[in-house]
Formats: sequence, C-alpha cells, structure tokens
Amino acid sequence: MEDKGLFGKILAIVPGLAVMIGTLYVLRVYVEPWMKDAVVFGSKGWLVQVLSLNYILLSILTGMFYRNILFGGKIPAWAEEGFRTTRLFIKTGVIMLGSLYTFDKLLKVGGVAITLIVAFVFGTAIFVLWLGKRLGADRSVTATMAAACGVCGVSAAVATAPGVRAKPVDLALSIATILGFGIMTMFVSPFVGKMLSLSDYQFGAWVGTGILNSGQVLATCLAFNPNFAPGTAVAYGEIWNVVRVLCIPFVVFFITAWYWKGEADAEHVSLGSILASKFPIFVLGFIGMTALSSLHIIGAEGSETLHLMRDVMAWVFGIGLVGLGAYIDVREIKAAGGTPLRIGLIAGVSKYVIAMIIILAFIPKEGAF
Amino acid sequence: MKSPMKSPMKSSATTPMKLLLALDDGPGARRAVDEAIRIAREKGATLDALFVIDATWDVFTGHDWLSGCNSRIGFLEYMQGLEEKAAAESARAFLERRGDVPGELLTAPGDVVDVIREHAARGYDLLVLSSPFTRGLEVMRDAVTRLTRDAPCDVLLVRAAPE
Repeated sequence: MEDKGLFGKILAIVPGLAVMIGTLYVLRVYVEPWMKDAVVFGSKGWLVQVLSLNYILLSILTGMFYRNILFGGKIPAWAEEGFRTTRLFIKTGVIMLGSLYTFDKLLKVGGVAITLIVAFVFGTAIFVLWLGKRLGADRSVTATMAAACGVCGVSAAVATAPGVRAKPVDLALSIATILGFGIMTMFVSPFVGKMLSLSDYQFGAWVGTGILNSGQVLATCLAFNPNFAPGTAVAYGEIWNVVRVLCIPFVVFFITAWYWKGEADAEHVSLGSILASKFPIFVLGFIGMTALSSLHIIGAEGSETLHLMRDVMAWVFGIGLVGLGAYIDVREIKAAGGTPLRIGLIAGVSKYVIAMIIILAFIPKEGAF
Repeated sequence: MKSPMKSPMKSSATTPMKLLLALDDGPGARRAVDEAIRIAREKGATLDALFVIDATWDVFTGHDWLSGCNSRIGFLEYMQGLEEKAAAESARAFLERRGDVPGELLTAPGDVVDVIREHAARGYDLLVLSSPFTRGLEVMRDAVTRLTRDAPCDVLLVRAAPE
C-alpha cells in the first residue's frame, strides 16, 4: 500500500466524511422537520409518532441505502477512508455522553444496572454454552455465540474469536446473525416501547439489557427519544451499555477458559493478559467526562456550555450513525444461517423477552434522575 | 460444460491458450482444480492458479465501533493468519495435482472478486472457478454473480460433486 503521508491521509478522509456530514445536515435541517409536519394516513406527524422515525434512524437507514443501493454493495474507494472515521465519531459521542451524569446519579442506578447486566450477561453466556451442546454445535461456534449473545454482540465475537480458534465461516455467520438480530430489534423496540408506554428509564434499562449489540442500544434509545439530557432513554441506556462494555474482558476470559478446558492441547488463559488486550479504553474517557460533570467543571444543568455540548453530541452521533449504516451489508445478513442462526435466534429472542418481563415487573417508571 | 469451451479455443499455431483457475476452499474446490487441469492438458494450455487472501475482514466488521485497537488488531491478525494457512493448504493441494501442466501459482490479497477480475483481465482466455465460490468472506456474498456479470474473459463454472 502506498504511503500517502499525513496530509494525504487527511485529504483521503474528506470525500467520505463530507458525504456523512452532508447527509446528516440534509436529514436534520430538511427531512426531519418535514416528517414532523407530513400528513400520512390522515395523521400529522405519523412518520415520527408511529414509526419512530427521527434523524437517528434515518441516518442509519440512509447509510444502509448508500451501501446497498447507491454504492452497489461496496463502499467505493474514494469514500472508504472517510467512512472509516465512523468508530471515532461514535466513541467520541459516547465519551461526551459521560457529561450527562454525576457520580451520585450513577450510584443511584448503578446497582440496578450492574445486577441486571451481570445476571443477563453471564446467564445468557451459560445458556448458550448449554444450548450449543444440545444442538451439537462445534465448540468454537458455541463459544463465539456465547460471547456475542451474552455481552456486546459483534465486539464480543471479535474479542473472543482468536482465543477460541473460531473458523472464518462460522465467525462470518455468527456476525451476520448478531447484526441482523440487532437491526431488527433496533427498529422494533421503539415501537414496542411506545406501545407499552414505557418510561425513558424502563426503555433504557430494557434495551440496555436485551439488545445484543451495544451500538444498537444507543441508536434504539435515541430512536425512542432523540434528546440528549439527564433522564432520557439514552442517558439510562448508556449506563447499562458501559457496564456491559466493562464486562467484555471477563466474559472473554470465562468463555476462553471454558473452551480450552475441553480441548486436548489446552492453553493457559490469563485474565491479566485478556484485560490488557481487550479493555475498551474509551470507557475511561466516559468516566473522565462524568468526573468533570461531577466537579461542575463543564457547567451546571441548563448552562449554555452544556446546551452546546449536547447539540455537538447529536451531530457527532448522527454522523457516526450514517457511517455505521454504510457498514451494514444486507446481502451478508441474508446469508446468515446454520447453527449460529439457530443459537442466535433462540438466545436473542429469549434475552429480549425475559429482559422485558423483568423490567415491567421490577423497574419503576420513575427514573433516579 | 463442453460447449462454452469452444469460443476461447486458440489454434495450436498461435499463442497457447491461457487459463486462470481461481482457488477456493469450498465443496467444489477439488473438482474445479481437476477440471482446469484436464482442460489445460487437453488444449496444451498454461494454467495459472490464483488464491486471493481475503482482506475485507476489516470492512466486514466495520460496524463494530466498540472494540479497542488492541482487540481489533488481534482479531485482524488472527484472520490474516487463517487466510495464509488456507492459502498454503490450497497451494499444496493444487501443486500435488497439477503434475506437468505449465503455469504459475499466484497469491494476492484484497477483495476476492476484485482481485480475480483484475487478474482475469490480464490476457487470460478462460477463468475457471467452482460454483458456489466460497473463498473467504465470499461465503456471505455471491462471487459467481459478481464475476460473471462483467467478466473480462470467458468463465467456466464447475459445480461441486453431488454427494
């Protein structure tokens, strides 16, 4: 690969990034206001109220349209480097989300979040390990799906795959299954949440527990309520998300240890090395931002600074989600099948439904902040 | 399977026919290799075999925004290792069967279909591949449709042997 130099690399980002920014601009400035006023089936704002369409879901859908229709299934070379900034945008957004909390607020819901997440993460992982055995699945497939269904979807599969010697075909099928299930729940959940009149707290807790992919938890919360403020769905959902993310190295360790226990040529697995290589460092940025907020360094609630910051956050997430959509290839999802699909559907649907039942039974409508 | 072979045939007085065999690791791989070798022997053709190391895992998991750099790099290195191992196995299997048929063994990284198409455009008369073609992440895509849609030379698809 030719070395473009720093200036060349920055220049290569521009076209794709311009598409992402331009898309979000059109969606936020023209399309979303139009949708709020549009009369469909005799009802004003039907697209927003019934279909929960807002700039967040539209960003993802437009990204998917680019990839699957406009680009013919492949991000073109001229846009590739720009779209690669997707991860940077979403991670920046998550770090900025830390400003929605103070440590005392986190403590109020942290206990509930930790209890639910730890129970669901390890409960799902153990269930999938059992299910894989029942279905006669290969141990590496079972291990990859246990991580993916248990904790953070594709990220967990990526983190676990090398340790459990996952085969490329199985891994591809597992990722397609998880992504497909996540996308389906992303569009269905806001609709279900509104139908059941869930509060922002209940909705954030439900999708934070029940949806497999962390990116989709954020998008789903924002589809339910696109506002960035304390007490909104995204503020609660992100607490669940962060707890989940922190679980990744432990789940990877647990599943890798399970895998090697059943192999003849067992390898030594160390929690320390897994923590060092799999710990998602951006979470420290999130915690740092919460520290700044707790110390009132970034302004009090209602201040101009916070208002500006939340507006920037909306743009940062929106741009990232256009890119995220462009990485979703419908053909690849349609190719999902075999044992990973069976495991994914059984575990995913069970987790989603049981999480809903637990939330309705034990989580009050009123949030802690 | 025989009739499409007539158009790309070149007379023995002119340049020898050039075949390109796209190697894969699916159920039809062995049959495609055998068929390509048979044609090459029959026509006195040169047979180049191409194994594409799939380098699209980064894009395939591009929607994974959460993984840290270490985790992601570890994953991509692991996949690269598996791809190289598959390339070595495929090469060994091909060389064992090729015998005295002249030609080269080529290995190139990239998007499987793009790389095959790019090589096929380098003066080959016939591209031979198995159908379905399941090299790397093409197991999730449709390489055959993409390749035959705008192939730069004639294409021979070899089905997997019936079970």
